[in-house]
Amino acid sequence: MSFLEVLDAKGWYFLTTLLGGWPETVTVALGALIFALIFGLLVALMRISRWRALRYPAIAYLEIFRGTPALVQLFVIYFGFPDIGFEPSPFQAAIVGLGLNGAAYLSEVYRAGIESIHRGQMEAALSLGMTPARALQYIVLPQAIRTMLPPITNFAIILLKDTALVFAIGVVEIMALARNLVTETLQSAAVYLIAGGIYLCVTIPMARLAAGLERQRQAWH
Amino acid sequence: MLELPAIYAENIHRWLPELLYYSLTTLKIASVSFLLAVAVGIFFAVCRTSGSRLLRGFAVVYIEVARGLPIVVLLYIVYFVPPQLFPGLNWQWFSDFTGAVIGLALHGGAILAEVFRSGIEALHKGQREAALTLGMTPAQSMTYIVFPQAARIVLPPAANYAIGLLKDTSLCSLIGVNELMNDAKSIAFSDYQPMAVFVLVAGIYFAMSYPLSLAVRTLEWRLNVSR
Repeated sequence: MSFLEVLDAKGWYFLTTLLGGWPETVTVALGALIFALIFGLLVALMRISRWRALRYPAIAYLEIFRGTPALVQLFVIYFGFPDIGFEPSPFQAAIVGLGLNGAAYLSEVYRAGIESIHRGQMEAALSLGMTPARALQYIVLPQAIRTMLPPITNFAIILLKDTALVFAIGVVEIMALARNLVTETLQSAAVYLIAGGIYLCVTIPMARLAAGLERQRQAWH
Repeated sequence: MLELPAIYAENIHRWLPELLYYSLTTLKIASVSFLLAVAVGIFFAVCRTSGSRLLRGFAVVYIEVARGLPIVVLLYIVYFVPPQLFPGLNWQWFSDFTGAVIGLALHGGAILAEVFRSGIEALHKGQREAALTLGMTPAQSMTYIVFPQAARIVLPPAANYAIGLLKDTSLCSLIGVNELMNDAKSIAFSDYQPMAVFVLVAGIYFAMSYPLSLAVRTLEWRLNVSR
């Protein structure tokens, strides 16, 4: 059977089967996004803190997670943690692994966003009697959001693409289903091209959105 | 409780030489695909900034697709799809290593094309024209005027890409290339020591990427004239 005949005969079956992995892909991506958004902020705040006891662990964390591949991090968590008494499910390991990896990326985005706000804003808020935490919450972060929105959108795209790794620790998402389909039908060309198409249908519009947000932000300035 | 130091004391003389041997493959994949990615990147950056609409459109489509695909998916497509699309050709030469290098280079080419484009576009045409007017040869104007300015824009992101690439080579294990990650998997599961082996491997990747990232930071600092 030629490639086009395969597409004609099996294309719809391949597409619907692969789309069955979409909920898992989205769950891992969203879970890791939320994890990274929260944990990344914490790391960013530690990183810009005046106290070494907070700053140094944050720096160590950043260097380690940016200096090693995400796949290795996922393997340490999924296959390694049982050795020290935790047995995460593939889902938990995927969300925590990609979340920790992403928090290292996001914390730099947060830091750049916070540092883009003029010092005087913070000083003014403090002199009005706000606590540092309140000044951050009500004065600095709301303004920094504008700067941070485009890179956060870009991060969401990276995260969505990184979910294609988690089949390696047993999460049954799109790529895992694609591999199963290839084992079942041996039609690797059609299956992997359709899988690629599915990712592109989401990542390209998201990239356009991020570029649009960035243009909008620059127009504000 | 896991006694990592004891495990390492007992096994490291077997594990480390083997892992270091396979990290040479990792370095080989990274360096070959980096060089290839630079070539692909220059080609598409030139297309992307050319006067021809057709070439520009071609470059835009390539860049969007190669950047929109997860690297793993790109590797699977490059390695598994062509032999099935063109079964008549001879695919003997197309090893997993070749597939990995081409896949990574296609992904990197798209990233570097955008980096090189920003370098090309940031330079005002007048610079080159002024150099030529002053009597420099085109080669001199390239060496002394254009390149030093473009390098300042291009080198830091290109070097950052190289660090990312070094880590991304671990994905080649998923299409079966025998590199550091794949070897780590086989040791970890045959010796039943996943934690110890994967932490050790993380350390090896870190030892390769951290000096690079320190070098990039120094480079960024030195190239930043506005400091």
